[in-house]
Amino acid sequence: MNTRRTTTPQSVKASRLNRRDFLIRGGLMGAGALSLPALLAACGGDSGSTADTVGGGGGSSLFFENWPGYMDEKTIGLFQSASGVSMKYTEAFNDNNEYFAKIQPEMSKGKTIAPDILAPTFWMAARLVQLGWVQKLPKADIPNFVNLRDDLVGQSWDKGDEYHLPYQTGIAGIAYNSKITGRELKSVSDLFDPAFKGKIGMLTEMRDTIGLILMGEGKKIADITTFDAASVAFDKLEKAKSEGQIRSFTGNDYVDDLSAGNFAACVAWSGDVLQLTKDNPDVKFIVPEEGGTSWFDTMVWMKGSENASPVAKWMNFLYDPVNAARLTAFVQYISPVKGVQEELVKMGGDNAKLAEDPLLFPDAATFALLQSWGALAEDEEAKFDEAFASITGA
Amino acid sequence: MSLSSRPENVGLGVMLGLGLGAVALAAQWVKGPSALLVAVAMLAMAIGLIFTAFAGGLEARKSLAPYGLLKPGIIWLCLFFLAPLWSMVVMSLSSKTGRFDFFPDFTWNFENYRIALTKFRPQFIRSFSYAGIATLLTVVIGYPLAYFIAFRGGKYRNILLGLVVVPFFTSYLIRTLAWNNILADEGPVVSLINTLHLSGIFESLNIMQNGKLMNTPAAVIGGLTYNFLPFMVLPIYVSLEKIDVRLVDAAMDLYSSASQAFRKVVLPLSLPGLFAGGLLVFIPAAGDFVNAQFLGNPQTTMIGNSIQDQFLRQLNYPVASAMSFVLMIIITIIVLIYTKFMGTEDLA
Amino acid sequence: MSTAFSKRQKAGQRVVNIAAGAALLYLFIPIFVIVLFSFNEPKGKYNIKWQNFTLNNWAHPFVEKELTSALWVSLRIALIATIVSTILGTLIALSLSRYKFKASGAVNLFLILPLTAPEIVMGSSLATLFLNRSVDFGYVTIIIAHVMFQISFVAVTVRARIRGFDWTLEQAAQDLGATPSRAFWKVTFPLILPGIMAAALLSFALSVDDFIITFFNAGSLVTFPLQIFGASRVKISPQINVLASMLLFTSMALMAGAMVLTRRREHRHSSVARKKS
Repeated sequence: MNTRRTTTPQSVKASRLNRRDFLIRGGLMGAGALSLPALLAACGGDSGSTADTVGGGGGSSLFFENWPGYMDEKTIGLFQSASGVSMKYTEAFNDNNEYFAKIQPEMSKGKTIAPDILAPTFWMAARLVQLGWVQKLPKADIPNFVNLRDDLVGQSWDKGDEYHLPYQTGIAGIAYNSKITGRELKSVSDLFDPAFKGKIGMLTEMRDTIGLILMGEGKKIADITTFDAASVAFDKLEKAKSEGQIRSFTGNDYVDDLSAGNFAACVAWSGDVLQLTKDNPDVKFIVPEEGGTSWFDTMVWMKGSENASPVAKWMNFLYDPVNAARLTAFVQYISPVKGVQEELVKMGGDNAKLAEDPLLFPDAATFALLQSWGALAEDEEAKFDEAFASITGA
Repeated sequence: MSLSSRPENVGLGVMLGLGLGAVALAAQWVKGPSALLVAVAMLAMAIGLIFTAFAGGLEARKSLAPYGLLKPGIIWLCLFFLAPLWSMVVMSLSSKTGRFDFFPDFTWNFENYRIALTKFRPQFIRSFSYAGIATLLTVVIGYPLAYFIAFRGGKYRNILLGLVVVPFFTSYLIRTLAWNNILADEGPVVSLINTLHLSGIFESLNIMQNGKLMNTPAAVIGGLTYNFLPFMVLPIYVSLEKIDVRLVDAAMDLYSSASQAFRKVVLPLSLPGLFAGGLLVFIPAAGDFVNAQFLGNPQTTMIGNSIQDQFLRQLNYPVASAMSFVLMIIITIIVLIYTKFMGTEDLA
Repeated sequence: MSTAFSKRQKAGQRVVNIAAGAALLYLFIPIFVIVLFSFNEPKGKYNIKWQNFTLNNWAHPFVEKELTSALWVSLRIALIATIVSTILGTLIALSLSRYKFKASGAVNLFLILPLTAPEIVMGSSLATLFLNRSVDFGYVTIIIAHVMFQISFVAVTVRARIRGFDWTLEQAAQDLGATPSRAFWKVTFPLILPGIMAAALLSFALSVDDFIITFFNAGSLVTFPLQIFGASRVKISPQINVLASMLLFTSMALMAGAMVLTRRREHRHSSVARKKS
């Protein structure tokens, strides 16, 4: 192809410089690359290379990490102007376990994370308390604490309510599309009706799904402390899955599937379905006759945060029935604060109608049907989670 | 340019030394003062190399040049590819004292591997079969496209290649989610199938299940095929493009039909591209979890979902590492067989 | 025989053309869907069923604060990672294609390994390393992870592009009096630049889009794909489609621009003898 004369003396000299160029550049880069281990070691010493750190020192800023769609803008704005605290609010808490895995590397080494307040579900809060990653709340500065609903006072994993304050509570029951099912549903066993094969949804939230099935078998979930005691439910769920009864395990995404008709029925949370039942009269929510699970999300104060005063102010603010009512009108879950019903009536209009909604203010009969889980020991919980994971497909 | 021996050995030795040192430091084979010693030794090697380059004359420099160029990149890879793999192996042989023991001790615990190979065998098998089917599908769909661009593209070649790559510029997740819209129960595809009364055929082929296309193995495989199609088209194109068109013409003169010319001339010459594309599709597909998560159901979980679950949900780092390592080993064996077969040059 | 032959040929050609067209269509169907649904007005929290046409989403594309900030995070990371990996990868590619040396086979193999290792293995093993070494997850860890797989990609791509490059051109320049450095920067570099740019562009896209490796190494930092994944549990807003479409159109424009520029440069350098790879 190309014929060129081989190197002339002049180009040899030039080439020498050429190679040297490369070598120098390469050598410099190499030396630069060598400093990387030192860089790594230095990185190890840093804390918080993540998003803006707001926590730590001072009394006028607050970072609250919450679930998506779980707080209205107005309440945040009103809080900031009333208290003078500047609040950073993000909604990156999508899943208890995933968030736990995110913060574990830092918290387990005694470092701190950016958010001051998180909103874990009760069982995750129990785990955080057990691991010592949360601080005792500054209760002295939260006088509205007395407004906590009586049935929520004192938990087995936090006897004096020292570490947590409930944020919202809810019910897990069954939601169904009556147009697809063709009949009304009443019981947990309806979920296993072969007529609905491939059109049943269940939650990825283990305690709600397994809890309902256990209640369907006549068990009391508060008494379940070992995996063996619950294995009957796991077996039933495994069987239903392998027979194709269950279409998928979902998070909050069952809502659209339900209204679209992909699900005939699914295990569902009361707050999600409230609005849906108004938009689509075919969709109904029931607490099964064997019982439904009662759960709650909490607010906890992360260890290492030094914003005691803003934390107290915020929690106090939320436990004022007026603010709690506004929040309830937005998220449409059951408030842990006493006196919300009256406040909603005072707000008038659609909000007053919410005061009469049995899903937001269950009557005594419904309440009697609800059961909640106790705390599970670490190794038992691991067995529960593993078994559930292998069924839900992991 | 071939190089003379001794300086080259120095360059090779230094590169190996630096790479090894990097891994040693990152993976904590040595700690404390010994680590400092290793770092100093590495620095000494680098300086020695530069010195040799300057002092050794032209030949030396010619020999050492490539090693100089390679050093930064190779060191980076040693630090952040080899060292992590070492960490993973160590973790896979460790055991935890409790669920929330985040710093397991190394105990030569092979139990993790037993769990990985028995409890998750269905997922391993399923992953490799899904990936295999997806790879075959990418060949079927991608080969004609690559052929067209290589032989019929003309001056539009670059534009067409660009078009193949463009879907890549939307997010992987969004592309997968879009199939949710397309294959939804009340969406266009299912409606079309129902109007054409083809649902019976699809059900018997297990492409549809209970009248739905979403949340089926077919949806997962379809997602894998779609997402990795460009990885098959581009390598095939590269090897087709190298074929001298005159060879094809000569073949046409020799054989009686175009299809024979294709089979005897074009196809064999495009084999390197096919094999390269095959690897580039099969391997990421086998380890994927996004498609199974968004498009599948509890029966379609792949090994990627399991590893993710063990790592992030069960917090069982030892078992997760064992599973990753098994996956890696199986795939490395495949890659080694391939490279022995085809030679490493042609992979590009 | 010739007419029968050419008829069969034409039929065969047509089959290939149709198949190719179908494949291209297949590639773009989800893209159409993504752009289409960016104009949708979803009734529920999920953007799955077509309801109404609306320009509202495009009028307020950045209304989802978390999504937008995640996008900026991704772009920032991609920029830094691409620069670092392009430099390192190009150096490797240059050394491999310009010189024949003992270790080249081994280096080749070593380069290919990150490309062929499953992302989940690379991601989880890197995370294990960072955990063991008490490195905090965040920008640095994500950039490190991205550069790691980008280097191989850049090296392999650039090497493919400069294979067959006529290195004697540099010597010609030096014969004509240029210093080696000048010869490289003025002769070699501009000619291999398109290859480098192509590799850089593609690895930028890989970085913005990377999910699995980032998933394990991000800690609390949220990139664009991570935000989509996390939020998809609760809702999928049409703004995701809007932002994705914006990304798409921008990259298409960049690519088209690059092509036009390359074509102009080719006209300018058309007198220089060179081989295209």
